[in-house]
Amino acid sequence: MTSRPDASAKLKAAAPKPGPNRILIGGIIAAVAILGIVLAVILGSSSTGSGGTSGSSALPQGATGTGGGIVANASTAKAGAPTLDLYEDFQCPVCGKLEQVFGQQISSMAKAGDIKLVVHMMSFLDAKLGDDSSVRAAAAAACAADQGKFLDYHGVVYANQPAQEGAGYTDADLMGFASKAGISGSALTTWTKCFDARTHLGYAKDVETAAEKAGVFSTPTLKLNGKDLPLQQLSQQYLSDQVKAATK
Amino acid sequence: MASRRGERRADLVGLVARLALGGVLVVAGALKVAEPAQSAMAVRAYQLLPYDLAGVIGHALPVVEILLGLLLLAGLFTRVAAVLGGLLMVAFEIGILSAWARGLSIDCGCFGGGGTIAASQTHYLSEVLRDAGLLLCAAWLTVRPRTAYGLDHRLFGQEHS
Repeated sequence: MTSRPDASAKLKAAAPKPGPNRILIGGIIAAVAILGIVLAVILGSSSTGSGGTSGSSALPQGATGTGGGIVANASTAKAGAPTLDLYEDFQCPVCGKLEQVFGQQISSMAKAGDIKLVVHMMSFLDAKLGDDSSVRAAAAAACAADQGKFLDYHGVVYANQPAQEGAGYTDADLMGFASKAGISGSALTTWTKCFDARTHLGYAKDVETAAEKAGVFSTPTLKLNGKDLPLQQLSQQYLSDQVKAATK
Repeated sequence: MASRRGERRADLVGLVARLALGGVLVVAGALKVAEPAQSAMAVRAYQLLPYDLAGVIGHALPVVEILLGLLLLAGLFTRVAAVLGGLLMVAFEIGILSAWARGLSIDCGCFGGGGTIAASQTHYLSEVLRDAGLLLCAAWLTVRPRTAYGLDHRLFGQEHS
C-alpha cells in the first residue's frame, strides 16, 4: 500500500526541478538588488548634499560666482597679474604645511597685486574623515570674507589646525578664530549671525562640487593661469619665477 | 564520463574562482558602502563620466559589488553573476588603464579611498593585474558555471548546474 506513493515521491525528487522555482528566486534577488541600488543612490545623494542648499545660496563677498573661489585681493590685483587658484581643504595637513611655508609669500604677492589670488575652499575630507569640519570652516571663512577679513581668517584657521588630522574644528573653535582674525565690534556681530545661520554653507558645498567638476581631486592644488604647479618642484624661488613668467 | 576525476578537478577550480571573485567583490563593496560620498568622489576622480552620473555610479557600485559577491560565494546564479562580475572587471580595467594613459595620479578607489594621490604612490600595474586575474575567474565561471559546493546544483538540479 505504501510502496506506490513512495515510488512516485522518489520519482518526483529525482526529476529536474521545474523552472518556476528558479525564476521566483531569481526574481526575488533581482528585486532586492534593484531596491538596494535605488536606496543607495537616494541615500548617497542626500548625504553628500551636492549642489548646496538650493540655487538661492548666498554668495560671499569676492566669490567669482556659484561655486567659484573667493578672490582674496580684488582691490589690489594689477591688470596684467596672473591668476593663482589655490584649492585647499581646511582639514588637509599638507595644506597646513603649504600655508606655513608659502602662506606669507602668497599673501604678500596678493597684497602687492602681483597675482590675483583665488581661494577655493574644498571640503571632500569631510567624507574621508567622517565629520563636517571642512565645510563648516569654509562657511565660516566665507562669512569672514563678507567682513573683508578672508585672508586673515583663512590664515588663523591654518595656524590652529589640529595636530592630528580628523580632530576637526568645533563651532567654538571657529568662533574664536573670528576675533583672532581681527573681526570685532559690529563686524563680529554680523559675522556671528552669518555663521550661526549657516549662511554660506550652501556656497561651501557648491565650491566642492565645482572644484571636482574642474578636475581637482586633491589638496593642495595650485593653478597659475589655469596651469597646475607641480607640488614636488614648489619652492619660493620657483613660485616667484613662475609668477614673473606668467605676468603680462 | 571519460574522466570523472577531471570533472571533479574542474569543479574545484570553479570553486576557487568563485570564492576569489566573490570574496574580493564582497570586501570591496563592504569597505565602500558606508561612505557613499567618498565612493562617488573616487568615481569622479577618473574624470570619465559626467559629474552626476559618476555620483550615481559611486553610490550604486558598492551595493552591486556586495550582491554579486554574495551570489558568487553562495554559488547561486553563478553564470549570471560571473558575467556581470566580469563586465565590472572590464569596466574597472578600462577606467584604470585610461587613468594611467592620461597621466592622472589617482588611487583606484577599489577598496575605499580614491581620489588624487602623489604620482609616486600610484599602483596601476598591480591594480590592472589583480583585476585581470579576477576577470579570468569570471571568464572561467561564465564558460563553466558548474562548481563544487554551489547552491545552483543543489537547488535547481543538473541542467542548471
